[in-house]
Amino acid sequence: MPVASVLQYPWFAMDDADTIQPLNGRPPYAPGDADAFYAHVGSGGKVEADDWMPDDYRAAVLKFVEMHANSELMGVLPERDWIMRAPTLRRKLALTSKIQDEVGHAQLLYRVAEDLGKPRSAMLQDLLDGKTKFHNVFHYPTRSWADVGIIAWLVDAAAIVSQQALRDSSYAPYARTMKKICWEESVHIMHGRDVVLTLMNGTPTQRAMVQEALDRWWGPLMQMHGPPTDPARDKDLHWRIKAKNNEQLRQEFLSIYVPRILELGLRIPDPELRHDETSGRWQYTEPDWAELKAVVTGHGPASEARLGFRRVNFAETQWVRDALLGGATAAA
Amino acid sequence: MTVRFVPQLDLAQREALAELLLSLADDEFVIGFWDSEWTGIAPMLEEDVATSSIAQDEIGHAKALYEMLAELTDDDADRIAYGRAAEDFRHAALLNHARRDWAFSVARRYLYETADAVRLTALAASTYEPLAMLAGKMRREETYHLLHADAWLRRLADGAAEPRERLASALRTLWADAQELFAPLDGEAALVRAGVLREPMHALDTEWQGQVRRRLEPITGELPAAAPTADGRTRRTDEFAWLHGEFTSVASSEEAAIW
Repeated sequence: MPVASVLQYPWFAMDDADTIQPLNGRPPYAPGDADAFYAHVGSGGKVEADDWMPDDYRAAVLKFVEMHANSELMGVLPERDWIMRAPTLRRKLALTSKIQDEVGHAQLLYRVAEDLGKPRSAMLQDLLDGKTKFHNVFHYPTRSWADVGIIAWLVDAAAIVSQQALRDSSYAPYARTMKKICWEESVHIMHGRDVVLTLMNGTPTQRAMVQEALDRWWGPLMQMHGPPTDPARDKDLHWRIKAKNNEQLRQEFLSIYVPRILELGLRIPDPELRHDETSGRWQYTEPDWAELKAVVTGHGPASEARLGFRRVNFAETQWVRDALLGGATAAA
Repeated sequence: MTVRFVPQLDLAQREALAELLLSLADDEFVIGFWDSEWTGIAPMLEEDVATSSIAQDEIGHAKALYEMLAELTDDDADRIAYGRAAEDFRHAALLNHARRDWAFSVARRYLYETADAVRLTALAASTYEPLAMLAGKMRREETYHLLHADAWLRRLADGAAEPRERLASALRTLWADAQELFAPLDGEAALVRAGVLREPMHALDTEWQGQVRRRLEPITGELPAAAPTADGRTRRTDEFAWLHGEFTSVASSEEAAIW
């Protein structure tokens, strides 16, 4: 499959060329030799888009990246509700720019996924049809301006904990894309924290608004990385598509952000939450895994509204794609 | 810090200058809001990113203009942007309309960007140096907005019957209201005498119409005679009232709060 080098090494990855070395010449396994391929990725080797790879590895990377792309795209909608309501010129600029970044991430990730063999139009159609998933946190409604702060600060922080680990993904185009995304997400976290900090330094009503938002978002945040899985049976981990397991990511998030949340004078709505000195681990109330399962399969409080909104807009703009690309098969 | 030449203006001239700055800022602010509404739902991801970027430029220009006005009137940029009643806004009637479909947005952006180019060229020659400098800076960014709007105008106009008719219909709907970008300002004569405004607004309108009619009439058919009107910047609509309600909803929800 001929793939231009510009596709393998997008412009934003150029600065990182020294940290993720392209494989010069042939990968160290023969095309068709699945055992040698898995030995390669198992020992930290990288895979490029035009390298031979087993079908199950290709399918697993595609599913992982597609869900990530879907999440970036659907993640636009909860915050988008506040683009028209941002209360100062500076906030308006920051929020619009932040959401634009998320759309940009979706675009980059759909391109990574497309190279694995599924057209963007098919991915968007599957998303609209409810056949593919997106992250649990984007299935919830937003209620106040404080949600804008909590989402950009803590939802993006929980995401970046897992995204930073993905910079080591065995699938090199994804790893490179994650470097750019992580950098932008870290700016979002600063924006979110600034929104929250301003509210916490504000009036009692503003402080209460933040606490109420945190109370609502804490459950979904604790569910976000998923239930603990058996590392031996997690093939995404085994093949190094991802580098850390769910519980490791949750523990990392808690270690960094619990002190930061408390420092601002907020209460965390979990009486069981504490750091156990002997095990070095965070103890917490078991998250509601039934809720997580229901939500990501499209039964969250805002799932149908979000997908419905996207379907309506997609249908209303179909004529533009047709005008540009011709025919009903035009990709979005 | 740049040393600026700021001409000594009398009270009437200062008031007229404030009116000019407010109208420019409100135009950029309101079109920036309507365009930012495409964020996340544009016809394709690439256009989503582009439209959002343009909207941010417009809001950035509005911010710079409100700040200049605030300096002149000893006010605060956010107070001016978020603290006024809907009827105190001074944007042109072109920007009273809600976003509607992509063709409507392309039509409005084309009309706006071409008119804005004429206006900014005139303002870049202003004797009020802070405004002349800002107009020069804005013009550099707006050039790309104009290219973007122009490319879309061409794509829709050269396309099949449906996109072409959607575009033509939007252009015909907006034509009269677009003239109001050059609606006369209170105290305009004083600004022209002081060289703050190079030419009267109606002369800029004539110049602009001379440029765009040639381009638009092959798409729309003959456009009616049109000229700016006295209430072109004071007419308000329910659609703008909705927008105003949205963008002030958080800002006005808590007395004297900082956001």
